[in-house]
Amino acid sequence: MNLLIKSAFIIDTKSDFHNSTQDILIEKGKISKIGTPLENPNNYKELVLDNLHVSQGWFDSSVCFGEPGFEDRETIANGLKTAAKSGFTSVAMQANTHPVIDSNSDIFFVNSKAQNNAVTLLPIGALTKNSESVDLAELYDMKTAGAVAFSDYKTPISNPNLLKIALQYASNFDGLVCSFPQEKRIAGLGVMNENVMSTSLGLKGNPNLAEALQIARDLYILEYTNGKLHIPTISTAESVELIREAKKKKLDVTCSVAIHNLLFSDEVLSDFDTVYKVNPPLRTQKDIEALIEGVKDGTIDMVTSDHNPVTIEDKKVEFEQAAYGTIGLESAFGALQTLFSTKKTIGLLTKGKSRFGLENSSLNIGELANLTLFNPDTKYTFSEEHIVSKSKNSLFLNTDLKGSVYGIIANKKLSL
Amino acid sequence: MSELSVNHLLGIKYLNKQDVQLIFETADHFKEVINRPIKKVPSLRDITIANLFFENSTRTKLSFELAEKRLSADVINFSAAQSSVKKGETLIDTVNNILSMKVDMVVMRHPNPGASVFLSKHIKANIINAGDGAHEHPTQALLDSYSIREKLGEVAGKNVVIVGDILHSRVALSNIYALKLQGANVKVCGPKTLIPKYIEKLGVTVETDLRKALQWCDVANMLRVQNERMDISYFPSTREYTQQFGVNKELLDSLDKEITIMHPGPINRGVEITSDVADSKQAIILDQVQNGVAVRMAVIYLLASKLKQ
Repeated sequence: MNLLIKSAFIIDTKSDFHNSTQDILIEKGKISKIGTPLENPNNYKELVLDNLHVSQGWFDSSVCFGEPGFEDRETIANGLKTAAKSGFTSVAMQANTHPVIDSNSDIFFVNSKAQNNAVTLLPIGALTKNSESVDLAELYDMKTAGAVAFSDYKTPISNPNLLKIALQYASNFDGLVCSFPQEKRIAGLGVMNENVMSTSLGLKGNPNLAEALQIARDLYILEYTNGKLHIPTISTAESVELIREAKKKKLDVTCSVAIHNLLFSDEVLSDFDTVYKVNPPLRTQKDIEALIEGVKDGTIDMVTSDHNPVTIEDKKVEFEQAAYGTIGLESAFGALQTLFSTKKTIGLLTKGKSRFGLENSSLNIGELANLTLFNPDTKYTFSEEHIVSKSKNSLFLNTDLKGSVYGIIANKKLSL
Repeated sequence: MSELSVNHLLGIKYLNKQDVQLIFETADHFKEVINRPIKKVPSLRDITIANLFFENSTRTKLSFELAEKRLSADVINFSAAQSSVKKGETLIDTVNNILSMKVDMVVMRHPNPGASVFLSKHIKANIINAGDGAHEHPTQALLDSYSIREKLGEVAGKNVVIVGDILHSRVALSNIYALKLQGANVKVCGPKTLIPKYIEKLGVTVETDLRKALQWCDVANMLRVQNERMDISYFPSTREYTQQFGVNKELLDSLDKEITIMHPGPINRGVEITSDVADSKQAIILDQVQNGVAVRMAVIYLLASKLKQ
C-alpha cells in the first residue's frame, strides 16, 4: 500500500514529529518519509482530510464479536469493520462465544476469520474449560496459537485456589490471567448498583463490596504466586484504592475501566431503561470521581469500550430479564474526549498494548504504519447513524460527544 | 374539573400531593356508592379493562375486578398460568395482542420491578400497576393512607411504622412514598437483613427494636415475610423472627397508648401478628380491604376520564 497523507497533525510522544503538522509518505505499508511539504513523484494516492490528526493505532482490551455462535449479535467481519471505523487497529476479543473459545483450534478459527484485515484481532482464550470456572483450559496450547490473555469474561473465578493455580501455571510461559472482579455470592441477584436508586426501583443491588472483596482476595493471591494479573473493568472507588496500594507493593497487576463507568452514574436508571444495564453496574458520582482520579494518576492502566453487542430481543424486555452490556467502540474516542485532553485520550487508547503482547510502534520513519486518523474537534450528538455494529444497544445514544474518527492505516491497508 | 397529573398509575413516586387528595375525595364518593343497596354506577359503560396478572393474586385481583364492575366497565381477566407467556411470547406482544381487541385500560401485576413502567413506554393504553416485583404497589399504598385518614382524621403528622420484610416489599416502598408525600413520619422496623442498606435516604428512619417502634407510632403496618422472593435465608427461623418482630396482644396492651394495626394481607397468623391482634378492635385490616374497592374505583374512574379526553 502506497499513500501520501497531507497535512496531518501528529500526536505521538514517541515520535520525533510529535506536536507538529507533517506530510507522511507510506510505501509498501511502511512510513518512508515524514516532512513538510513532501513531493509525490510516484503519484501515490493523496489523503487530504479536514483537521486531520494522526496517532499510533488504538487498542481495546475487551470487545465481544459474537462469532462463533452468536452471529445475530455481531460477526467478526462486521466487528472488525466497526473497530476500524472507530479508530482501533487492534482489539482483544473475549471468549464468550458459543462454543467458548477454550482450545487451540478455537483460536485458529478466530484467527482465520480475522485474516487479511486492517484490524488485528487478538483472541483471548477462556481461562477455564467452557468458562465454567472449574478446570483450567489448555492455556499453553492456546498461547502458542496466538491467545494474548486468558479470561472467562464476566464469569468470576469463585474458587480462590483455582486463581492461585492459574496464576502459578500461566507464569511458566508469561501468560496474562484476567479475573473479573465480582464476588458473586455478595453480588447475589443484584442487577444494578446497590444504592438509593436500586432501593427506589425495587431492584436488587450489587454492592461495591462485591467488587472490592474479590479484588482484595485476588491481590493477596497474586502476591503469593508472583503471577501476572489483569483486572478488567473496575467500577468502584474502593477498587481504585486497593490497586493503587498493590502497585506500591510492585505487584504485577494492571486494570482497566469501561468508558461508560467514567461517564454515567446509576441515576440514569430511574426509568428502568435496559440500555444502561451493564456489568459491572453504573455506580455513583463518588465512584466516577475516584475512577477518573485513578485514570489520571496511572492506577488504572487502560480504558476499554467493553464493547458488547446485544440484540434488541435481549434488551427490549423487562429490566430483570434484559441482557447486560453496551456497545462502545463507535463512541469510545468521542466520549473520552469529553473527559480528557486529546493527548491524554490517545495515551489511554494506546497504553494497554504492551500488556496484551503488542509492540508499541511509533510514528517514525522506517516503522510499519499503524495509525489512527481522526479529527478531535468535531462536536455531535451520538445517534444510530454513528453505529456500525449489528446491534444498536449503545448507552451513549443521545449523548453529546467530541471528536470523530476517519479511519485507520494498519496491516498495510487503509480503512476509511 | 380536577384531574390527575399522570396518564398511568405506575407508582406513588410519579404522583403529587394533589393527585392523592383528588383520589381520596373521589374515593369518598365511591365509598358511599358501594354502601348503597344498588352498588353500581354507569360511569364506565363504554370502557373495557383488562386485568393482566402475571403473578398470583387473590384480593388485589378481586378488588380490582369488583371496582371495575361497580363502575360498569367491561372486564376481561388474564393470568400467566393460562397464557402464551409460557410459550415464549414477550410481554409487549402479549399485551398488544390483548389491546388489539380494543381494550382501553390495563391493570397489571408482574413479578419484575419496572414492568409496568416498561409497558407504558411501548403500548397505547392507560396502565395501572397492581404490583411489580419489589418496586411499587400504588393502589395498596393509597388504600392504606385512605384507611389511616378515615381512622385518624388525617395522614399528615402521624407516626407510621412499617414492620417486617422491607427489602422484598412493594407495599413498603409505595407506602413510604405515599406517607412522606402526605407529611407523615415514617419508620421501618425489621431484621437488618430485610431492610435495604440505603433506605434512610428515602427519608425514613430505621428501628430494630419493635417495642420502641410501636411505642413511637400511631399506626403499625405489619408486612408479611415474602419467602417466595428470597434467594437465601435472611433469618434463622420463623420462630426467631416472631420472637423479635411479631406483634401479640400482650405487647400491644403493654404500650402507653392504643395504636392502629394494619396489614395488607395475606396474614400469616401467629407470625407477624397473632390472631387476637388481627381480630382486635385496634386492627383495621378488613376496613382496608373495603376501602380498597373504593380507592381502586377512584383511580380507574380518574384515569378513564383522561382517556375520554
